Amino acid sequence: MSENVQEIRSALRPILADHSSPDEVVAAESAGWNSTLWSVLCEGGFATISVPEQYDGSGGSIADACAVLHELGRSASSVPFAEHALLAGWLLAIGKRSLPDGVLTVIDDPTELQVARTGDAFTVTGTARHVPWASVSAAILAILDIDDQSTAVLLPTEELQLDEQVNLAQEQRRTVVLHNVVVPAKNTWPVPADTAEQLRLRGALSRAALMAGALERATELTVRYTAEREQFGRPIGRFQAVERHVVRLAEAAQQAVMAVAVAGINAHEEIDFFDAASAKIVVGECASTGTAAAHQAHGAIGMTKEYELGQLSRRLWSWRDEYGDEREWARKLGARVSDAGAEALWPRIATG
Amino acid sequence: MKFVPTPLSPAELELQRDVRRFIAEELPADHQPGLGMGSGFDPAFSKKLAARGWVGMAVPKEFGGHARTAVDRFIVTEELLAVGAPLGAHFVADRQTAPAIVKFGSDWQREFFIPKIVAGECWFSLGMSEPDSGSDLSSVRSAARQVEGGWLLNGTKIWTSGAHRTHYFAVLCRTSPAEDKHQGLSQLIVDLRSDGVEIRPIPFLNGAHGFNEVHMSDVFVPDEMMLGEEGSGWRQVTSELAYERSGPDRFLSTFGLVKYLIAERAADGLTVEQQRAVGQLAARYWTIRQMSLSIARAIDDGGAPAVEASLVKDIGTRFEQRVIDVVRDVVEVQLRADSSSTFERLLAEAVLTGPSFTLRGGTTEVLRSIVAKGLRNV
Ligand SMILES: Cc1cc2nc3c(=O)[nH]c(=O)nc-3n(C[C@H](O)[C@H](O)[C@H](O)COP(=O)(O)OP(=O)(O)OC[C@H]3O[C@@H](n4cnc5c(N)ncnc54)[C@H](O)[C@@H]3O)c2cc1C
Repeated sequence: MSENVQEIRSALRPILADHSSPDEVVAAESAGWNSTLWSVLCEGGFATISVPEQYDGSGGSIADACAVLHELGRSASSVPFAEHALLAGWLLAIGKRSLPDGVLTVIDDPTELQVARTGDAFTVTGTARHVPWASVSAAILAILDIDDQSTAVLLPTEELQLDEQVNLAQEQRRTVVLHNVVVPAKNTWPVPADTAEQLRLRGALSRAALMAGALERATELTVRYTAEREQFGRPIGRFQAVERHVVRLAEAAQQAVMAVAVAGINAHEEIDFFDAASAKIVVGECASTGTAAAHQAHGAIGMTKEYELGQLSRRLWSWRDEYGDEREWARKLGARVSDAGAEALWPRIATG
Repeated sequence: MKFVPTPLSPAELELQRDVRRFIAEELPADHQPGLGMGSGFDPAFSKKLAARGWVGMAVPKEFGGHARTAVDRFIVTEELLAVGAPLGAHFVADRQTAPAIVKFGSDWQREFFIPKIVAGECWFSLGMSEPDSGSDLSSVRSAARQVEGGWLLNGTKIWTSGAHRTHYFAVLCRTSPAEDKHQGLSQLIVDLRSDGVEIRPIPFLNGAHGFNEVHMSDVFVPDEMMLGEEGSGWRQVTSELAYERSGPDRFLSTFGLVKYLIAERAADGLTVEQQRAVGQLAARYWTIRQMSLSIARAIDDGGAPAVEASLVKDIGTRFEQRVIDVVRDVVEVQLRADSSSTFERLLAEAVLTGPSFTLRGGTTEVLRSIVAKGLRNV
């Protein structure tokens, strides 16, 4: 682990303990996000980690951004860091543009959007679903094909119609409806052809990093709870059947952390398809086994909305699906791996 | 508990390329890939590897080894396992006995055994399990009593893999009575051709001869074959676990299933279910390999990651079993023991031998107890 990653983690821990405690998480859920925490992260320069300094970011690598996400996941924090910095900030930097004021988000799936040229400007029409943080964003970025050229488009949010929708953890995931929204040419810029895929890989890695943090925290909670809770005259963690749940959860968390760490270290300018897809697949599967084990070991207390475990597991179940679930990525990765041929499989596994 | 991701250095990547070149040149064209550690017993192949310096790699130079690292050994081993190369002859000596002799053995033992092991000519088995002692190893009944110049050993070992073909085995036995059953145990190195040693085959589920029952009646074991100090057997056996438990042999046994699924079916195009299975498994191999590799690195850095090793073995061995189910789920074949398709032959072999992955070297249940204890003690 690089020094940077360590520093980021230890700097964030106390901030998140203050502003994303289980009580704060409950409070934030009614708003769909934690605005106080976001302000603190902005003031501290954390909100733009991985966005180059020349474009008004705080600088740092993808691995550094994953460290932030890991901590946010640990504390069940509902803030737009992934979309703002790792996705929108990166897209802006490709267009040599600085970060504008306010929260930024992105459209993961633009397939239902149509764009037309009208003089010097463009008009965009259609629907985008599950757009994170749309109600609190100042602008939304999307990658659209304009005259066969992959193009980043900065959409103003004033004219958009937003349906109030949330994920399983009450985090804002709006349906955005666009009726002839006018985008001036200066708010569009060409991007390399693989940018849409890179955006999705970044999104997938961001969710994997959040999940790895949440799984790590769920393990700590479960180890502690099973040591404290007594039944039949001894701590339940002393029963082998309960030990089994704790160990399965720890195994899930350790695999998740490793997968994200390796994908993060390997990512430089580009994120490798195999790495990010693998991370999302493995972490998604680990979220399933990990939450099942954690809940079984906790009994009824884990099923309450206020208890920290449930805050983590509802996010794990949501993040597992976002930017492609593990089944989608497994299908895509499997197709690529088998196209590359049997002899290429081992060398790829043993890379990085 | 901590796993630190560790990229390979340029020199390590060079070694990886060397091993791949070696495999391309040296593995016979008619080589039938096997499943992991059980992939075959080929003394000539072991010697070729030794000639490259790839047996006993991590043993220090002063003892006749190559002074390479645990990571180097990991790289060589994983490449060979991934192609199902025949490693059976030297595997235990290389993985386990050589490091144990370096760590605990006498000067005489190092001079006597290590050069032969490193040459790929001296093979070992493990004499731990007994008919009444499996997971509860400290209850072993095999016992040796001191006599003029050595020990007289009596007892029965069981499930002793390869004993009919190897030269020696390390026998865990009681050498003095003790209140605490972890005391008074020692490891004696026993020549399997000694008088009083009788080796009886136990056919394995797939019909192969791998297992043996080894009876020892009044076997004379000279003093110089006592490994380390008398009475330190338990500590030795448990400290070997980090080496034994977390290596690539604990997650690669069924890699051939995935490889040959692609090799034999990709020409017709894989179905969506098959693609999903391949993707899911590839992702998991990549992750588990990194965890296993991080333990080799930790050992090189002077650590003793015993809890981590147990966790990786549990993950790895359950995964090798899951590979069988996931793959079987996406093909429709009626398995036979004699298919001409490599994929189908390996799948049949995997179905027959798969249950052993989570038994050998410490069962899932025992590993989980170790991990749970480690988690509680944080
Ligand atoms: C292919 C193969 C090769 C082997 N090679 C060798 C060899 O070369 N040398 C050698 O010495 N041994 C060898 N073994 C033996 C192996 O080490 C033992 O099988 C293993 O230690 C388990 O012991 P057991 O089979 O007696 O099962 P048991 O210990 O009787 O266990 C049976 C079941 O009970 C469970 N159990 C036992 N105790 C507990 C507990 N405290 N808590 C929870 N569950 C428990 C086990 O997990 C298992 O599920 C080999 C085994 C196999 C399958």
